[in-house]
Amino acid sequence: MPIATARRLPPLWLTLLVGWTPVLLGTVVAALTVLGQTNQLLNHALFLLAFTLGSIPLGVVQRRLWRRGTSWRRSVGVLLAFSLGLAFVSTTVVIWVATRIGSIPGKFQWRFVFGSMDVVWFVLIAFCAIYMVIGYYVSMQEERLRALAAAALARDAELRALRYQLHPHFLFNTLNAISTLVVEQRTHDATRMIARLGDFLRATLDGDGAHEVSLADELSLTEHYLDIEKARLGERLTISMQIGPDTLRAAVPYLLLQPLVENAIRHGIAPRREGGHLEIQVTHAGERLHLNLRNDGLGVPEKLSRGAPDSSSVGLRNVRERLERLYEHNHAFELTFAEDGCCQVLIDLPFRRMAVQAAKPPARLT
Amino acid sequence: MTMRVLVVDDEPLARRGITTRLSTHADMQVIGEVGDGEAALSAIVDNAPDLVFMDVQMPGMSGLETLALLSPRERPLAIFLTAYDQFALRAFDVHALDYLLKPIDDERFAEALDHARDMLALRRGRDQQPGLQALLSAPTAGPDHPSRFAVRTGNRVIFVAARDIDWIEAMGDYAGLHVDGKVHLLREPLHQLAHRLDPAQFVRIHRSTIVRVDRIAEMEALSNRDSLLRLHDGTPLRASRTYGDALRTVLAGPA
Repeated sequence: MPIATARRLPPLWLTLLVGWTPVLLGTVVAALTVLGQTNQLLNHALFLLAFTLGSIPLGVVQRRLWRRGTSWRRSVGVLLAFSLGLAFVSTTVVIWVATRIGSIPGKFQWRFVFGSMDVVWFVLIAFCAIYMVIGYYVSMQEERLRALAAAALARDAELRALRYQLHPHFLFNTLNAISTLVVEQRTHDATRMIARLGDFLRATLDGDGAHEVSLADELSLTEHYLDIEKARLGERLTISMQIGPDTLRAAVPYLLLQPLVENAIRHGIAPRREGGHLEIQVTHAGERLHLNLRNDGLGVPEKLSRGAPDSSSVGLRNVRERLERLYEHNHAFELTFAEDGCCQVLIDLPFRRMAVQAAKPPARLT
Repeated sequence: MTMRVLVVDDEPLARRGITTRLSTHADMQVIGEVGDGEAALSAIVDNAPDLVFMDVQMPGMSGLETLALLSPRERPLAIFLTAYDQFALRAFDVHALDYLLKPIDDERFAEALDHARDMLALRRGRDQQPGLQALLSAPTAGPDHPSRFAVRTGNRVIFVAARDIDWIEAMGDYAGLHVDGKVHLLREPLHQLAHRLDPAQFVRIHRSTIVRVDRIAEMEALSNRDSLLRLHDGTPLRASRTYGDALRTVLAGPA
């Protein structure tokens, strides 16, 4: 229901135009039947005048009622009484003028007034009705826009809540690795790892609020993360990336790859004594963007093989939910485990380019 | 050519981080350390340092405001320090040479110093410095550029042709030559190798990465002013902003 305070109003000129046009047309059509009869024509013109006289104050009063958000019942009562009064006054004026100029024969008589004011009253009531209809249409539009905005806000809030949360495990393991590097006095490796952790934290804490980034930015962030994992796992982790032509500017959900990569390393590669290989492929085909992650692993994890596959992994569930919110049914997400323990994630998204960034060269002192 | 450096940061430990790193570079001479913008202003006017490391967020005047108060003639080369991105991009409006994010990355730090050396050489009108500018203006394909490299795999020694190399990665004292998806270790640090390579064919894109120019397929700007390159074989490589200009020059030149 419309909110009581400060309701939006249809503009007065629009209401007057909409209200007047049928009356004007009706008068013109009626006048056409009496062409040549001056008195009749004059009477029609006077009738139009009576309506006009009545409609302006009526419009103003109705506007005020509307703005105050007066209840239906009260508005109808007030408007009926007011329009009756207006019909009486304006008909009286018109009849008086008509008898003076002689378009109505004889002297001014009150019965003329009571005989014709009903028509004026009905037309004024019709005018009120038109005003109401337009008013409700406008506020309904408002409501719809508000509902759309509210839905967008809710979606934004959901996505925000789903924003990837840094895995505490990862953070503390990394700090522990750094502490080891410090104890071993490998200062260069330690500062390098701290810097990478800084990059990564900066990216995940970034308050920018965008839900999508370019694939180039996402890959860069993923590499920051992989740098840390490579430092931790050493030669046990090998990575290959194949990025297809015309994909770097593609819009992808912010932090799409990182949780998947983290998942692959945590559950697939890190537990294997011999380590493993991680492969990332991105291709652009027609209107679709395909992302394919494949990693060596131990096969279907215990937890996953019971219950629905992938239901236990927070990172994966998070990615799925965000894809659902962002693209609804216009996407695919598929997780499969092969016989040899390899795990594969296939993601299919609509292909869309991010807006070009303002890549102005840095100003310099020369 | 020694460079006279002023370090401005309100946190003593942060200043120590800079001066300690500078102490490993023989040509860097720290002429002072100050803790706020006002002191920085008078130190710059009195001592005319070549380079200033300037923290952005300080009590009182910010690093940006401090530099903006100086006339272009008085303004030294400036490397901004910031803990959080949002100020960094604005820093370029006050003619920053570069910016560094905290915690400081040693490679970025070294890159920024390289850049400062090049700019100072330009300022002093001395081009004979073997910096990036000199490297770029060097004649192409001289006889000094090796066309192949000997790498040891197990007991064998194999030769890798320079034209087969896709990109080169620093791996400690070794350089990893990436050829067709495989990595060959060359016993030579990247910064030495960088000077021996033909600048018309190889370009440095990062402190630890050199790429063969004709392997670059695409270049996309990142939101932090770095960029991401895509090679023809699909490999993505990060290119640091410090080398951005040189990279663009090479890419714009004749293939």
